[in-house]
Formats: sequence, structure tokens, C-alpha cells
Amino acid sequence: MSEPRFEKLAVIGAGTMGIGIAEVFAAGGQDVKVVEISEQVFQNAMSGLKKRLQKRVERGKIRQEFAEKVLKRVRYVPDIRELVDADLVIEAIVEKLDVKQNIFHELAEVTSPNTILASNTSSLSITSIASAARHPERVMGIHFFNPASRMQLVEVVLGAETAPSLAEQVKRWLKELDKEPVIVKDTPGFLVNRIARPFHLEAYRYVQDQIASKEQVDRIMRTAGFRMGPFELQDLIGIDINFAASVSVFEGNFYDARYRPHPLQRQMVEQGAIGRKAGRGHYSYEK
Amino acid sequence: MKNEVIVLGTGPLANRMGRFLEERGCQPVRADEKPRSDALALIDITAGMEGEKKTSLLKWEQNLSPDTPVFTSVLHLTATQIASWLQHPHRVVGFSPLFFEKWDRVEVSCPLQAEGDSRFENALSLLAKWGKKAEIVGDEPGLVFPRTLALLVNEAAYCLQEKTASREDIDLAMKKGTNFPQGPLKWADDVGIDQIVAILTGLHRELGDDRYRPASLLRKMYYARYWGKAAGRGFYEYGQMSDPATGEPR
Ligand SMILES: NC(=O)c1ccc[n+]([C@@H]2O[C@H](COP(=O)([O-])OP(=O)(O)OC[C@H]3O[C@@H](n4cnc5c(N)ncnc54)[C@H](O)[C@@H]3O)[C@@H](O)[C@H]2O)c1
Repeated sequence: MSEPRFEKLAVIGAGTMGIGIAEVFAAGGQDVKVVEISEQVFQNAMSGLKKRLQKRVERGKIRQEFAEKVLKRVRYVPDIRELVDADLVIEAIVEKLDVKQNIFHELAEVTSPNTILASNTSSLSITSIASAARHPERVMGIHFFNPASRMQLVEVVLGAETAPSLAEQVKRWLKELDKEPVIVKDTPGFLVNRIARPFHLEAYRYVQDQIASKEQVDRIMRTAGFRMGPFELQDLIGIDINFAASVSVFEGNFYDARYRPHPLQRQMVEQGAIGRKAGRGHYSYEK
Repeated sequence: MKNEVIVLGTGPLANRMGRFLEERGCQPVRADEKPRSDALALIDITAGMEGEKKTSLLKWEQNLSPDTPVFTSVLHLTATQIASWLQHPHRVVGFSPLFFEKWDRVEVSCPLQAEGDSRFENALSLLAKWGKKAEIVGDEPGLVFPRTLALLVNEAAYCLQEKTASREDIDLAMKKGTNFPQGPLKWADDVGIDQIVAILTGLHRELGDDRYRPASLLRKMYYARYWGKAAGRGFYEYGQMSDPATGEPR
């Protein structure tokens, strides 16, 4: 039996993730349509991509012809109604459930019931996104990490109603695109964001309970082989982003104590000390 | 000077400690009961899950001179509680035996009874002589790294027991998705499932917070002695099952 190929691809949203995902497809030799709220937003994203590819050409990582091919394969379409014949659509718009549900409802109306509709959500439930769509059995999560072109891991997330056979199909296709896919059931935080929670949350407890200072915790974790300790890593990720992820996994689990965020996290956010991007977080980055 | 160091405990952690001491020109002494008033130190690797820790420490203390430092694993208990058993509580230094021989830093904790006592500092200078920088942290079970690792492993074990993902995918996700140096399940097998369970149950008992409740899969692996690589079986299989303490086949 020949496997259905995903030839006609589309990405909704050309933000940080959307344009990166489009790049992955294009670099893998596939054409991809991109839907955005305006052509201007799309063009801005494309010039960003162009700059990044150009840098790689200059560093001798890729050839000029290849960069041009990648750019040519990414095409703007103004309306999701143009995705009628798509095999697979990935949504990468704002992280808001009602907005995503609206898009999935619409997508399900315009595409065929065999079109795979995927969300790149980091923290929302695939099952609740799918509940807004006709034929929820073809709705799933395909969770790329930032930056999508460089991070190999992709979480392939099966919602409660997703057809299990899709997992292996999508996994094989992602492997051809040089990714390392893992298959995970729909639970808050999926695998990475969930299992990494204690790395961040317990760190605050050490500090609050006077078990260790931030510097000590980071030093100890680096000694253990982590590239960065929890505090330096949070400064890089953004303490606001890390706090939001904590809250979302905590709420998603009906306030299970295992995921309880820490008041010091919120305090950092309230002071605006959210990490490198603000010049200060757990450490100071003022010049 | 015989440079004897008494090592309490069995299994891979104790074996590695023995080799480490030999490399440092010390003579590890195991399981005999002659007085050792000139021993450099006593190093107790046992986690203390089964009550054997107290009996053997009490027995050994009588054979030591009162100033000989006692380094004791605080993966399951606090140094303060362990010190409370002894006649000379000031000599106790809590420490983490995980990767002791491998890393240049070692986490230690000071029992409440020894705070401000010079014997604690003296004990640390022995570690310095062995090339170990002491990282003094608060006295709670599992200190910092072991506690973090145990919680990561626990969350991964919950994922596995719920069939949220396969063991291979869990480990792969953490290595590729967030740069963990090891997948948590593989890491647990290397450290020993017995040690991971000791840390979690110790924290759960001392701090009484549900965050530390061990996954049932971990508790069962503990009972079944699926203690990881040294036992031949943990989250993964490693050839033949063997007794984790002696290495004898089972
Ligand atoms: N940024 C990350 O590190 C990261 C990592 C993994 C997953 N995610 C997830 O990916 C998704 C996108 O995140 P991002 O950081 O790329 O966001 P972003 O804000 O950078 O981009 C979102 C884009 O979607 C567009 N958009 C919004 N509504 C639209 C609509 N109705 N139709 C078409 N386009 C629309 C916006 O104009 C914007 O360009 C979120 O679900 C997020 O949780 C983000």
C-alpha cells in the first residue's frame, strides 16, 4: 500500500515559528503556502528569512542557489479558502484558544476531511482545539521548537480523538525532513515543557528556602552537565515566557501540586525583571 | 600513616568510592569491626531507606576517635537527623555520593548541631585535599542536584506509566528539545532507581508536599529491585538481572 504523501503544505501565520516551519519544508524540497493577516506582514517575515539564509551563504553553510530555491518555494496566499486541496496545514498563530478554535473551524470547512490539520501550540490542548473542527480525527499537534530550522525535535501530539495511524505517517515524513520526531499523547506541556518543569520550579524553592543561592544552583547544574543552570536559562528564555508556561501546565493539570509555580516567579515578572531582553532578570545585563 | 577510610555501603556507588580513594592514596576499609581510631574519615554511602544506616553508623562510631569526620549520604535523610543518632554529632557532614568521583564539586550540608563548629571546616579541608570543591547547601534530603534529578525522573516516570510516550521518546525529547545532557530515564538507570526513590520518599516525608510523591512505577521498580544498570534492569534492560549490591546473577 502506498503511503499518502504530504505534497501540498500550508502554514498559517508567519511569525517566529510559522516562517521557521515554512523554511523547514522548503529546505526539504517542498512547496509551502503561507497565510498571514496581510501581505505586508508576510513580506516582513520573508525578508527576515532572506537575511538569515544570506548569512548562512556567507558562512559557507549553504549555496546561493539553495537559498534562492528555499525562498521561491514559500508563497503567500491571502485567504485560507485557497487551501482547499491541501494535504497538511500547520497553524502557528497567537497562543489563544478561541482564536485557534475559530481558525480550525474554518479550516475544517474549506479542506477535505482527509487534510491533516495541525497546531504548533506549545501549551493549549489539542483535544480542545480539535473540538471546534469537523472531523477532529485528522487534527493533531505538530510542535516545533524555536528556532524551527535548527531544533531537531518535533513533538507529534495525538489528541483524544486523533486517528492513531496519523502518528507514524507524520513521523516518517518529519524524519525525511531531517527532524527527530517523538510521539506524545495530549497532556499539558506535552513532554519537554512538562518534564522540564521541576528544573525551573524547584530552583526557586532552593532560593526561597535558603538551600542555595541562584549562583550556586546554576553552578551545580552546570557541573552536572546542563549547558545552563535554571536561572541563566530563564534569563535567556524570558522569565515571563517561563512563568506563563508554568501557569499553563499547572492550570492544565487542575492545580496538581507537582506543577505549582512559585511566587518569586510572579514577582520577577511584576518588577519587569524578565531576563536578558529587559537588561535584568535573575542577573543583571546592564551595559 | 595507613590513610584508612572506612566505607559503609554496597553497590556501584560504594565500589566507585573505593576506587576513588585508592587513586588518592587512601585505603578503603569495608565491613570489619576492628577499632580504627586512626582512620582519616568514615564515608557512609547508604541512603538509609531500610533503617540499616542508623545501626551501622552507631556500631562504627564506637570504633572511631571522636574527631574523625563522618561523611554521610543525605539523599534520603537530613544530616541533622543523622547527627542526632551519634554521640559526637559535630563530626557529621552530609554529602551527595552521586558522581562523587567524577565531578570536581561535591554538595555538602552541615547539620544544625555542627553550625559554627570548626570540625565541619576541618572535614571540608579533607575533601579539598582530594581535589573536591565543597558546595555548601541547605540541609534537606537530596540537596540540590540529586533533588532536581529525582523530580525530573519522577515526572518522566509519570509520563511513562501513563503511556504518554515511550521511554525512548521521553529521553530523546529531553535531550533534543531542551539540551539535557542525558535522557532522564537513562540517567536514572545510571544513578540507580533505589537512589532516586530514596530521594523522593525522603523529600515527601520531610517536606510533606505532594510534589514529591513518587510515581507508582518508580515505587514498584524499587520493590522489584529493578534498580537500573547495576541491576541489569531499570527503565531499560542491560543483559542479565543481577543483585545490585553484590553484582551476583539472580
Ligand atoms: N515562539 C516560540 O518559542 C514557540 C515555540 C514553539 C511553539 N510556539 C507556538 O507557535 C505559535 C506561534 O508562536 P510565534 O512565537 O510564532 O508567534 P508570533 O506572534 O511570532 O506569530 C504569530 C503570527 O500569526 C499571525 N496571525 C495571527 N492571527 C492570524 C490569522 N487569523 N491568520 C493568519 N495569520 C495570523 C500574526 O500576524 C503573526 O505574524 C503559538 O501557538 C506558540 O505557542 C512558539
